[in-house]
Formats: sequence, C-alpha cells, structure tokens
Amino acid sequence: MNKLDIINLTKRYGDFKEEATFSVPCGAVVGLIGENGAGKSTVIKSILGIVRPDGGRILFGGKEADKLTREERQKIAYVLDDTGLPDELTLKMLGTVLRNMFPTWNKGRFRSLIASLGLPESQPLKEFSKGMKMKAAIAVSLSYDSELLILDEPTSGLDPVVRDEILGMIYDYVSGDGKAVLISSHITSDLEKLCDYIVYMHGGRVLLSEPKDELLEKYAVYSVDKKILPELDRRAVVRVLEKEYRTELLAYREEMPQGFDMRPVRLDDIMLFYSKGVSL
Amino acid sequence: MKGLLLKDLYNVRKQILWYLAMIVIFCAVSVFVRNSAFGATIGILVTVSVLLTAFAYEEKDGWNRFVAASGAGKWAIVGEKYLLGLIFAVLGIAAYLAAFILIRDYCDWLDFVLPVCMQFLMFAVTLPLVIKFGTERGRVYMIVAMIAMIVILIFALSLIPEAWGATPQIIAAVSIPATVALAVASYFISVAIYDRKRC
Repeated sequence: MNKLDIINLTKRYGDFKEEATFSVPCGAVVGLIGENGAGKSTVIKSILGIVRPDGGRILFGGKEADKLTREERQKIAYVLDDTGLPDELTLKMLGTVLRNMFPTWNKGRFRSLIASLGLPESQPLKEFSKGMKMKAAIAVSLSYDSELLILDEPTSGLDPVVRDEILGMIYDYVSGDGKAVLISSHITSDLEKLCDYIVYMHGGRVLLSEPKDELLEKYAVYSVDKKILPELDRRAVVRVLEKEYRTELLAYREEMPQGFDMRPVRLDDIMLFYSKGVSL
Repeated sequence: MKGLLLKDLYNVRKQILWYLAMIVIFCAVSVFVRNSAFGATIGILVTVSVLLTAFAYEEKDGWNRFVAASGAGKWAIVGEKYLLGLIFAVLGIAAYLAAFILIRDYCDWLDFVLPVCMQFLMFAVTLPLVIKFGTERGRVYMIVAMIAMIVILIFALSLIPEAWGATPQIIAAVSIPATVALAVASYFISVAIYDRKRC
C-alpha cells in the first residue's frame, strides 16, 4: 500500500488551475520538483490541511485525509519552508508547548536531537541562524511518532554542510519500518542523492512521476546542429532548447541514433527543458 | 488547547508584568480619585492588548500554518484565544473588584457589572475582527469598536437608572445574559471565519 495517494487534487487561484496525481510508496523518498509557482507548496499545504483543495482526493494510508482523526493526522510530520515555529520561545519552552500538543511527543528524543545538532536549549529561536531554525524544525518533526514526513524546501538557503546534515536525518528517518518522505526542493542535487521517486510539476500539473534512476537513465541531453532538427525522429525528442551557441535536445536515449554529442541528464535539465524548451 | 495556551503565554511573558502593573496602577488611581472609570477601562485595554499581541506574534512567526497542520482542530485553535482573553479578563475583573469594594460608597454596583460586561463584549468583538482581517486591519476596526463601546459605557453609566426608569436589577438581568450570549455567538462566528480562511 502507498503511504500517500494524491488523486486529481485540484486547486484554483483565479484563472490558474492546479491539478496533481501521484503517490508516495511506503519506504520511499519522493522528491517534488518544479519551478516557482508550479504548485508544489499548494500540494503540500493541501496534504497538511492548511488549505482546502477544490477537488480530488488525498489518501493517507488508504484513508481520506479530511476524515483523519487527530491521532491519525499527527502521524504526518512536517517541516514548513518558514518553519512556523514561535521565534520568542526557546527550544526548552517549545518542547513544553509541543509535549502538550502531540500525545506521542518524546521529550528525550527531542533533547537528544537538539544536543546532537548543537542547538542551544535556552536561547530564543529569533537568535538562531536560518540553518539552526531549520534544524530545530526538523528536530521537532522527528520528536513524535509519525509514518510520513513532509518537508517543504528544507534546505533552501543553507550551506552544504548543514544541507548534508539535514539530508542525513531524512535518510535515517525513512530507514525506519513503513515510513515515507515527501520532500519539495529547488536544490535538485540534494534530491538526486536522496530520492527514490521524482514528481515534476510544471504550470500546476504533474508532468512526470517516475522512479529517479529510471528517469535519469531514460533521458539524455544532446548537443546538435540546428540544421539537423528536421531529420530527427519526433518521437525520440522530448524538448528542444536553443542556446546561444548550440541547440540542445532532451531526448529518449534508446530512441536517439548514435553519434551525437551526449551527456547524462540531471534533474535540473529536465526542469529547464520543460520550462524553457519547445517540442520538436 | 493547553499547548496552544502555553505558547501564547510564553510569547507575551515579557509583557505580562507590564500588563499586571497597569491593572494595579489604574485600579489604584480609581481608589485614590474615587472614580471607577480607570479601573473599569484598564481591564478592557489589557485584555485586548494581550490578544492583539498574541495574534501579532503568530502572524510574524507563521504559526497559523504550523498549528493548522498539527491536527489541533479549528475549535481548539480558536477556543484557545477565547481562553487567553478570559484569563486576562478575569485578572482585570479581580483587580477592579478589589478597587470597587474600596470605593463602593461612591459608586453604584452597576458601575461594576456594566464594565465587566463591556470587557467580555470587547474581546467578543475583537476576536472575530482580528481572525478575519489580521492584526493590522483588525486593530483599526477594534479601536473604532473600543471607542464606541467606551463612549456607550460612560453614557450608560450616567443615564440608565434615571432616564430609562429601569431598575439596576433589570439592567443587570439583561446585560449579563446578553453578554454571555454575545460571547458564545462570537466564538461560533470566529470558528466559521477561521474555517473559511482555509480556502
């Protein structure tokens, strides 16, 4: 069974309509990528109950999300992009607050996590750096019993050392039985290291939802002379991107003929080709 | 709800002493000048200030989104703010009662009942406004409502027994249940406003 199923989830903002369908399998890390305004945060807010979608279904462990009890809802841990934690409180105070909000709150685990992350207990969060606040938010999310961890841009604006620490914590979490992670990020290099599946959203829609390794194996980026474009098989070429000194193609490896200048695709390339490129 | 309340109390912890000091000072002034108005109004000001401060911190922190995702539920999330207002209203009322007892020879007992009702009415008006419009705009609308209510309070205190022919007992018998009913209605309105904001 999937830990999370998103089925035709729709949300309208004026004329702009978002629609998403994808799943988060048990034991998997699913990366949600897309440019700004693609709809990633809206999907995450809908799952967490922060906004009400206009249509579609969200199933957590097979149960409709809007019918989850409080205890079931709290099996979904989360880290928001701006953390949402009260800046005036110290971690000690925050622990007291959250112990009274989450019945499965583990005080010992929380203290152990903040100690291992080198976070001060008695300093207000407003005096923390951005990286420290994000580490605190992750420590909070890991301090009560959950089955699904959802993170919205957890490593944005952080240095590589802190990012690596955070990715390590996420990896440790999903190693537990029956857990799963959904992580939204612009830093595709992090997702390439961590994720099992990639969901790519563009213009409010899910364009790709595939295992990461298959995705990166399926496509490649080719540099070609613009003049040969009419000779290429349209079924092989996904997108064409005109650059200053060359033309690049995002194409299916197995469909493209040999002999072209080719490099492996990165997640960045997929986003760039879909947002800036055109069909052949 | 306990966790939510603790969070707000922690947030306003630096201002609590100031609020308590203002309550004590204003009530003391009421005693010294033998005029209930000071003690009567400070409770209103403190209750509303605490609520506005709590909301302002939440908006700044983005806490609204965190708590919405926590499974706390709209009834508890909104109810906690009413509980916070009630706690500070009770503190203000207790101090005002102490002052009132000392100056009761110079006042009518309605001078106690009506301001207490106004205090609850004030946060019954404030909370839906702030939940609907946010702290900045809600504060403006609340000030307008507060000025109107203070004017009504002063006017009513001076006019009601003589001009209306109503006995204080009748006035109290109407004011107290009306205040309770309005406060309860305010809670349901606030929950509905909060729920609609999720859209």
